[in-house]
Amino acid sequence: MSILNVLFCGVGGQGILTSSRILALAAMHAGLDVKMSEVHGMAQRGGNVDTHVRIGESVPSSLIAKETAHYLVAFEKLEALRNIDFLRPDGLAIVCPLEIPPLALSLKRNHSYLPHIDDILKRTAPRLEWVDAEAIARQMGDRRLVNVILLGALARHLDISTEHWKQAIRDRFSPAAQAACLDAFEKGATHDHMCTPA
Amino acid sequence: MKALLLGNAAVARGAWEASVAMGCGYPGTPSTEILEHLGRYKDVLVQWAPNEKVAYEVAMGVSLSGHRALVTMKHVGLNVAADPFFSSSYMGVNGGLVVACADDPGMHSSQDEQDNRHFARAARVLMVEPADAAEARWMTAAAFSLSERFDTPVLLRLTTRVCHQTALVELGDPPTADAANAAGHGYRKNIAKNVLLPGHARQRRLVVEERMAAATAFSNESDLWNPVHRGTSSVGVVTSGVAFGYVREVLPDASVLKIGLSYPIPIARIRSFAATVERLYVMEELDPFLEDAIRAAGIPVEGSSLRPFCGELNLTLVEAAFRKASEHGCTNASLDAESVATPLEASPDAATPGASPDAATRGASADAATRGASPEAASPAASPLGGTEVPPRPPTLCPGCGHRGMFSLFREMKLRVMGDIGCYTLGALKPLAAMDACLCMGASIGMAHGLTRFASPEDSSRTVAVIGDSTFFHSGIPSLLDMIVHGSNATVVILDNRWTAMTGAQPNPGTGLDVNGKPAPRFDIPGVCRALGVRRVREIDPYQLEECRQALEEELAAPEVSVIVSYKPCLLGTPRPAIAPAVTIDLDACDRCGACIRVGCMALHEHDGYPTVDSALCTGCQICLQVCEPHAISVNGFTGQTSSSRTSTEVPT
Repeated sequence: MSILNVLFCGVGGQGILTSSRILALAAMHAGLDVKMSEVHGMAQRGGNVDTHVRIGESVPSSLIAKETAHYLVAFEKLEALRNIDFLRPDGLAIVCPLEIPPLALSLKRNHSYLPHIDDILKRTAPRLEWVDAEAIARQMGDRRLVNVILLGALARHLDISTEHWKQAIRDRFSPAAQAACLDAFEKGATHDHMCTPA
Repeated sequence: MKALLLGNAAVARGAWEASVAMGCGYPGTPSTEILEHLGRYKDVLVQWAPNEKVAYEVAMGVSLSGHRALVTMKHVGLNVAADPFFSSSYMGVNGGLVVACADDPGMHSSQDEQDNRHFARAARVLMVEPADAAEARWMTAAAFSLSERFDTPVLLRLTTRVCHQTALVELGDPPTADAANAAGHGYRKNIAKNVLLPGHARQRRLVVEERMAAATAFSNESDLWNPVHRGTSSVGVVTSGVAFGYVREVLPDASVLKIGLSYPIPIARIRSFAATVERLYVMEELDPFLEDAIRAAGIPVEGSSLRPFCGELNLTLVEAAFRKASEHGCTNASLDAESVATPLEASPDAATPGASPDAATRGASADAATRGASPEAASPAASPLGGTEVPPRPPTLCPGCGHRGMFSLFREMKLRVMGDIGCYTLGALKPLAAMDACLCMGASIGMAHGLTRFASPEDSSRTVAVIGDSTFFHSGIPSLLDMIVHGSNATVVILDNRWTAMTGAQPNPGTGLDVNGKPAPRFDIPGVCRALGVRRVREIDPYQLEECRQALEEELAAPEVSVIVSYKPCLLGTPRPAIAPAVTIDLDACDRCGACIRVGCMALHEHDGYPTVDSALCTGCQICLQVCEPHAISVNGFTGQTSSSRTSTEVPT
């Protein structure tokens, strides 16, 4: 059984579910089977969110096992680290270098965000690509485009044709939003991914 | 035609294809989206009931009318609806009745992990269990036919990973007008069947047993519901629900008897299957429901001894289970991990550096399996993070939530808080940590009544019941009656945010809107409390902390039942309430006391030992401003300080 495992993670409200759905739709258009597992409920209240997408000729179950994800698409650095042990030994982490501090419990601890997280990620991820989707989205004038930009960065590693991706994006967004999303997807697919975070 | 559907949307689709006339229920994760999706089909009537018992009774009425009904709830909701559920087994149905009930293994959003398959056995009704979204569609549709054929409600037992799975679903045909008419075959008066007096019920009791005998024969014969996937190995696995997928991946060569109609349990079919394999295993999530029955029938089987007895299953745990079985003498050779070749990877840089992908995968999977099975291996040292602790990111009350001010007051006033189920249960988490107990829907008021009667006078006078609007309508009202009738002097705080918010803002009797957003009668909570006989009812604005503190002190001191209604519409409601400008912090004035941080707001971060505001998240509720003693927090120059001698400055960020 050949199954591709992609895990998306981040913080509630970042568009993680939408990204996962677009990948699933693209796989469907490519004639493949797909199952994904989502988080609902508590996750909407600023909690961490992860979705598992599994694609193949035939996919019996929807959860990715630890150390079997081919790709980890992280919308936030701390969430990348939280899920890093899902990656295979040859897996690739595509990480948006964004820091969203978790809820602070006091001012005294002085460490609401993990120090040296970039180094820890470089050390723990088998392979790592920084994609500053946030900066690209800001340049494009709409921070909500982060999810499509990250999808573009993922897409160049997958054997799903551009036409199927475009079709999936058109399925998911209103005609008014499609042009910007397709543009953002293209930018994610072509930007210089080796840049290190500032 | 195939579509990509959420499991819950697939349930709705199946019900619609089966010409369901009405869907009703009470919101509860992971079941909520079923009715939300069913509401999108124009020809189906959808309503949120005040609680699951009412929803069930409405659905029984629809069934009596000769039409098909779907009733939805989460697993604990069936506890509330258990009274009509058990008796409806005796009454049977006229139009088909399907009870979609979603268990939450692993307790992602629930207070317990009950395995509701026991309900089917206890009430003697048929139960079907889809393994994925595609099965959720056809099994829901087919369950209506089973309901009518066997004259019984059918329990559609779902779990989180089926409800919240999105997968390709083969769609059935839309309902035709003919099918809809055939489904509605009209009301039939039948006193002996439908009036459950003891004399009638004793007769129906026998009918129930005859029905279950007939259903057992059907379940034993059914290739559709209980298919056998014949494999090449000598191992056989009986499985149901999501466990089926894990078994197929972990043991692709095994023979599998997949139980889709899981009550009555098809024991004869399992016995025949067992005869065709060398070793029989059962893999099911939560309780050994099938396993106990298989053992009781004298069929040798292993299962629960190989897996954890609680929580969700996953590929790692199922693989570890069969590995353990293999060590125990299983002769089967196909206990390898899923092979994970990757047909979609075109990029050459995706190849494993050094080792062959196959070897790397095997090693990793074996390691993962061991980790899942042995607690000592799960220590931080064994993780790739080498002991780095990733700070948790728990769910919190939203910025601007009306509950935040109340819970910061409860904490500050050191109140004993009998809590309830809703967003405000998050008030139990740090840094608020201002809840003492939370049991089940509506329990806060009853617990406060009992506690205040027997607690010390000091404790008793510092105890409040805290309940949300939807939970109050759900099952808080009878408890308040109980307090009044028995002369309690307790204080009840109703946190009214106008919506059933935790499950995604569904309307309730206090919303004034129906499921489609059309105007509906709106129950006025203070008015309801006064009508029940509460003399001390007062309404407060939870953004005004001093006003709230005063109200709490006065009502706690009052020698009779009092109700404080804290009203602030949820910011996730429709239409979205207007929000105020964000606050700013004057770092020169800040004394780093941390009071603002301790209100637990996502819009306030700690940065280099000082609080900072995320102006994109801040809704200007000003709770932090009111707890800031040095008046370092301001909005449009206002710091909450009465003297005008101080002014605030812009914050450099």
